Amino acid sequence: MVWTRRDILLGGLALLGTGAVRKPAFAQAASYFTGTAADNGVTFRATNFAKIDRQWQRQVVKYFSSEPIGTVVVDTRHHFLYLIMENKTAIRYGVGVGREGFKWFGRATIDSKSLWPRWTPPPEMRKRHPELPEFVAGGSPKNPLGPRAMYLHRDGVDTGYRFHGTLEPWSIGKDASSGCIRMFNEDAIDLYQRCPIGTAVQVLPHIADQAPAAEVSQATPVE
Amino acid sequence: MSGYTRRLAAAAMLLALTACTTTDIASVEEPPAAPLTGQTNDPAPGFESVKAGSEEDFILNVGRRIYFTQDSAKLDSVAMTTLDNQAAWLNRNPAWLIKLQGFADDSGSVSKMKSLSQQRADAAMVYLASKGVDPKRMWAKGYGEDREVRDCTERSCKVQNRRVVANLRTEPDAT
Repeated sequence: MVWTRRDILLGGLALLGTGAVRKPAFAQAASYFTGTAADNGVTFRATNFAKIDRQWQRQVVKYFSSEPIGTVVVDTRHHFLYLIMENKTAIRYGVGVGREGFKWFGRATIDSKSLWPRWTPPPEMRKRHPELPEFVAGGSPKNPLGPRAMYLHRDGVDTGYRFHGTLEPWSIGKDASSGCIRMFNEDAIDLYQRCPIGTAVQVLPHIADQAPAAEVSQATPVE
Repeated sequence: MSGYTRRLAAAAMLLALTACTTTDIASVEEPPAAPLTGQTNDPAPGFESVKAGSEEDFILNVGRRIYFTQDSAKLDSVAMTTLDNQAAWLNRNPAWLIKLQGFADDSGSVSKMKSLSQQRADAAMVYLASKGVDPKRMWAKGYGEDREVRDCTERSCKVQNRRVVANLRTEPDAT
């Protein structure tokens, strides 16, 4: 896949998600939370990890690839985000990614990041969803960014693409958002601690080790 | 002792036997693990199931690294949050000792980098002590530009190299 100027635009337009994953029935949704947690003066619903498939939970895995320590690699197809560590290992997080038509691939750096960010739905999204407000305050229980956002830039220009938390833990492991990478709120907090400003990011269709046999060519990092 | 720690200890002993020059000291401090086999996405050695209070728990749920801005040994709010988590974990798990390893990859001479990296490690140690970690459990050492992360863009590499890594230990360094 070749990364073009048009993709930047699409990436920029395909902004933050009020995801299209159908919400589970109320009682079932409630089961995805357990109690509350406090973070920087905000109380939020803690994820009930007992309910979450083990594969989407944060874990340290082997990672056989050449990216330097500290790089973040997203495998979009398999819904994993890797933070590369020493000795061929990585911390792996389950993520939700953009649904078809809202996917974004490329290299970027984390150039800014924020705590309990305010969410401003982009105009394009408000056109599709006129019911959306002009903005949602940071820390609001209705703010889809959750406790953290990490903003991906390329050559100093905001791609419009972010890593952030979620209001919908059941959407982790799915194609759900309008293009961003969403994480469990606890994981967004964790990743934020581990990624200094300047961290290199690669968003791939899938990592090379996970290439289906017929599609090896897609596995090379997009430029 | 966990599998991961055992492996590191084994690698350290191996290195201690083979490494004779002082330039290898840094690698003895944080020895390379034995080459991994298997596949991407397999659990890393020792991480098949993580017990509270283990080194794996510290790596996965707390994090060993804090980062600094250029030419600075000042702790920012993100670094302090990680150190708060480290202090809480160390206070819950009093058997562990901790070595703070500072690094620097900024502007200046080798000796300036060495002292900046020491200042960074010291700043982390002072902060942990202020959060109730017994200073007798901790020591700090600056490694200057040793063990740089390379092969990335200059900016992304440099931010990785301006760091302090907290290493859990079961006994003090031999002097």
